[in-house]
Amino acid sequence: MAKKTYDLLFKLLLIGDSGVGKTCILFRFSDNHFTTTFISTIGIDFKIKTVELRGKKIKLQIWDTAGQERFHTITTSYYRGAMGIMLVYDITNEKTFDDIVKWLRNIDEHANEDVEKMILGNKCDMEEKRVVSKERGEAIAREHGIRFMETSAKANINIDRAFSELAEAILDKTAGREADADHSRIAVERRPSRAPPSRACCT
Amino acid sequence: MAEMENDVSPIETEQREYVEDGKNKLVVQCKFCGSKILDKKSSNYIAQEKDLPLMQQASNNDREVQNETIKEFYHVENMYTFENIGFTHTVDNHKYLSCADCDAGPVGYHDTNTRHSYVAISRIVHSK
Ligand SMILES: Nc1nc2c(ncn2[C@@H]2O[C@H](COP(=O)(O)OP(=O)(O)OP(=O)(O)O)[C@@H](O)[C@H]2O)c(=O)[nH]1
Ligand SMILES: [Mg+2]
Ligand SMILES: [Zn+2]
Repeated sequence: MAKKTYDLLFKLLLIGDSGVGKTCILFRFSDNHFTTTFISTIGIDFKIKTVELRGKKIKLQIWDTAGQERFHTITTSYYRGAMGIMLVYDITNEKTFDDIVKWLRNIDEHANEDVEKMILGNKCDMEEKRVVSKERGEAIAREHGIRFMETSAKANINIDRAFSELAEAILDKTAGREADADHSRIAVERRPSRAPPSRACCT
Repeated sequence: MAEMENDVSPIETEQREYVEDGKNKLVVQCKFCGSKILDKKSSNYIAQEKDLPLMQQASNNDREVQNETIKEFYHVENMYTFENIGFTHTVDNHKYLSCADCDAGPVGYHDTNTRHSYVAISRIVHSK
């Protein structure tokens, strides 16, 4: 085979209740100039995206999860190999937010214990229908020591940012484990474990 | 070794201005949004005939998928060679490839048996 053209490969999973927007986060709302009905009919299984973080070329493989999955049906095999999980709720739907705790418990039970997690409050373009405040999203993330961001798949807000932040968090961990890692440099560059507030769309 | 392999590649291949040493000489991008699909020299040129569904299906046509025969591809053995790409769910041992940024496609296909991928050259653009 040809030489490896990247430094690291991170497998990421989108998880959350039905209807929160996981598929839309992966499959952009193609209300651009071009709607490709054929692709949207079959649906996207996963995407490969290349990002550059701290001089490293990183491949992200991002998986959607099947529509009807519920936390009690998702077990170990589902999470196999996942290094990062995007846990998504819908800011206009209380139930999807309440279920975040159940999803977190499920992840604790079945996923690799050092999987990096991030919570996304999606549909933040629908301010008039909001029922979950941003503060509550931040609070639950803080409580569990994980990152948080509000996103909109529809308005394309914070989607790319969310993935690079999750990748960066995994990179921090990976780098920490590398025997030859330059620890001082990593310590200096490490970001706070939570995204600073108010860069999001929906304040 | 390398010299011997040159004998194998058809002369026709060498005439393509975007092919060099059997590989894609230039960066491969999405036609619609410019998203980078393949880095230069990361895939092999291959002439083969294969039907792919049209990127834009006629809307007055209900069920039937309209195809087009594609004759030139870039062959990618390892999917992680791609810079940015989407893979659809599997249909008859195939996944279709789509742009990771604007979802345009199919820009090629992936064979789930061999795990090799093929990018349709007529459905992408080259750039430096
Ligand atoms: N306004 C708005 N609507 C959204 C957004 N993201 C998704 N939606 C809508 O929410 C609905 C569900 O989105 P999906 O992406 O299918 O949800 P899902 O999480 O994949 O659901 P399952 O596949 O059933 O698990 C669709 O009608 C989308 O149009 C968003 O950011 N803003
Ligand atoms: Mg879905
Ligand atoms: Zn594109």
